[in-house]
Amino acid sequence: MARERVSQADEWQAWAQRYDIEGGIRTFESGLTVKVFVGALFVGLLMMPGSIYLSYVSGESGAGAAPWVAVILFTELARRSFTTARRQELYMLLGLTGAAVGSGMQYRSFIWYAYFINTPQAASYEIADKIPAWVVPAGDSVGVLTRSLLHPDWMLPIGIYLAGKLLGTLRSVSAQYILFRLTADLERLPYPMAPITAQGATALAETTGKEETWRWRVFSIGSMAGLIWGFLYIGVPSLTGVMMSTPIQILKIPWIDFTQSIEGFAPTGVFALRTDFGQMLFGFVLPFPIVMTEFIAAMATQFVLNPQILYRFEILHQWKPGLDVRAVGLYNGLDFWMSAGMGKSFSFAIVGMAASIPMLFKMRRSKKTAGERGAFAPPPNRGDFPIWLMGLLWFVGMGGFVWLIHWMVPNFPLSFLLGFAFLYTPLNSYITARTFGVLGRDLFDIPYLHEITFILSRYEEVDIWFAPLPDEDYGRGTQSWRVLELTGTTFTSNLAGTLLIMPILIVSGIVVLHFIWKIAPIPSAQYPYAQMMWPINATNECLWKTSLRDGNSQMLQAIRGDYVAAGFTGSLAIYGMLWYFKLPSMWFYGIVGGIGADPGSMIARLLGAVIGRFYMIKRFGMKRWYMFNPVLAAGFACGVGLIGMGTVAIALVSKAVIVKPF
Amino acid sequence: MERVAGFIIILGTLLWLFSVIILEGRWQWQMFSALVLTIGIFCAHFWEELRNTDSNGESSDGQE
Repeated sequence: MARERVSQADEWQAWAQRYDIEGGIRTFESGLTVKVFVGALFVGLLMMPGSIYLSYVSGESGAGAAPWVAVILFTELARRSFTTARRQELYMLLGLTGAAVGSGMQYRSFIWYAYFINTPQAASYEIADKIPAWVVPAGDSVGVLTRSLLHPDWMLPIGIYLAGKLLGTLRSVSAQYILFRLTADLERLPYPMAPITAQGATALAETTGKEETWRWRVFSIGSMAGLIWGFLYIGVPSLTGVMMSTPIQILKIPWIDFTQSIEGFAPTGVFALRTDFGQMLFGFVLPFPIVMTEFIAAMATQFVLNPQILYRFEILHQWKPGLDVRAVGLYNGLDFWMSAGMGKSFSFAIVGMAASIPMLFKMRRSKKTAGERGAFAPPPNRGDFPIWLMGLLWFVGMGGFVWLIHWMVPNFPLSFLLGFAFLYTPLNSYITARTFGVLGRDLFDIPYLHEITFILSRYEEVDIWFAPLPDEDYGRGTQSWRVLELTGTTFTSNLAGTLLIMPILIVSGIVVLHFIWKIAPIPSAQYPYAQMMWPINATNECLWKTSLRDGNSQMLQAIRGDYVAAGFTGSLAIYGMLWYFKLPSMWFYGIVGGIGADPGSMIARLLGAVIGRFYMIKRFGMKRWYMFNPVLAAGFACGVGLIGMGTVAIALVSKAVIVKPF
Repeated sequence: MERVAGFIIILGTLLWLFSVIILEGRWQWQMFSALVLTIGIFCAHFWEELRNTDSNGESSDGQE
């Protein structure tokens, strides 16, 4: 039977529509009230320590839980008070709480560089003494040695960060708004994924009505599952870590390494079973073909391609028996996969452009027939801003940012900074806004842009690697403006809420991170994920940051043109073959994403996808299952987050009262 | 147009396999294959999106 050809845009939109069960509304109300603001601040600040702690313990911050906890508390209070919560309020609560919880994570780089500056890797690659003072104080400074972010040594890095944050807010708000007006108002792109977020707020707003809906039940099931899993995976190691020198891990965090077990029949293959089975929930939500093809491609890589082809032909030549997953991964990366990965990324850019450029032509033609596009006037009462004002704010924000970078790295050519700021960033943002508007995700990305820039600029100092560059992408953020529109929340209320909560979060984030750092050195046995990953990350960072220092660095040697070409052309050939045989284009993203990856990291996701596809859909029906998915995932994240919050509270209290004898 | 796009894609894929297996993976030949494949993929998408512009355009509007 001949297969019918479906265009990529139609294929992706069909998937997006599975989640889109709500129609947009066009009446706008403010979502910002005093109770929303206080509620967001309360729950956000309560969960922020847990979120930071979890990220060091398990690699997952669990920050997704906090907004839902806030919303549940809010809706419960509303029900007990015989009142109702509006969806605008709940969406605003989701956003503000998310910002509050995430506020601690914004300072994570300080802790990372405080560790990095004193690593043997940084010393051996001779960059420890070249890290600029605006990144981290000196390795032997009191602020680093005593693990205190509140020490005056940190004044310069934190001051620079805050200046960047202020300018960044100016830029992102104004640019996102302008792009949203262009893509949503003028061109009327559909933003197919935006209704998913809007549906979350709607789900819980319904619970404050007279009748309890299915959403509450599904959320509760997810929460209980999350609580149980969170206790086993995070709670036990964290609590035993308080009492014992070596925490008990029921399941080893973050993985169980089988790499040495398979090396007999699959040398150079890696297989490390990732033990975070919370990933199953992502398997429920992600499109089944992507999860399946990704896993098959990863298995084929590690059990056929690596050992039988690349190893036999001595392309993977650094491998030797007895290495663990991290070492094999590093060597395989240096030998082949880093170069091939670059090529794969370039193929995404080509495929993205090939898919989006014809869409532009199609949109232009259909505009004439529909007769609706081209109207730039916003809907009434949406709380819009003057375009000229937003344009001015963006210029001020970007100009200030370029000046700041120029001050940080005065010898780096200014022309590159200006080119990034005023040519690349607007173009890149517009392309991304368009792809989000049509496909609900990013397609366009130029990989290794910084590295290419540094080579072209012939600037050889290490400090440029630590400086931010003005190559930004605001397109992704335009989707949140669309969600505001769908939930009927006025733009002005959202902006006011964001600006009001920001100063509080700037201060509280740094104080909380300071105390978590004080509990124990990061990384250490208290923080198993950081202990496992940070040393290898430090090696990688050293390799990158020294890659342009001399002509024969390890990283430059690792990037080989023929391997980059193989990754690039091979990926294009896969895409072409899939198109030729009329197979779903999403297989491409699965196959190319899975090639070179560790299949053990995908087991949980695969399990979730298989259960969803072959049991849940049959049990509940396609439409209901896709309605349940986001709510179930939110409930699970909430349960895990609550456990994380509880255990970090116990750990913090314990560390605060135990006086060490030394 | 569909057949032309398919032909170019097949040609590009065969060229790539040839460059890897016979020409020892020289990047110049691989990139030439990539150029052929890119042309084929662009042709494919242009044909795909613009074949029934009128009807498809209206249906995508309707989703709003």
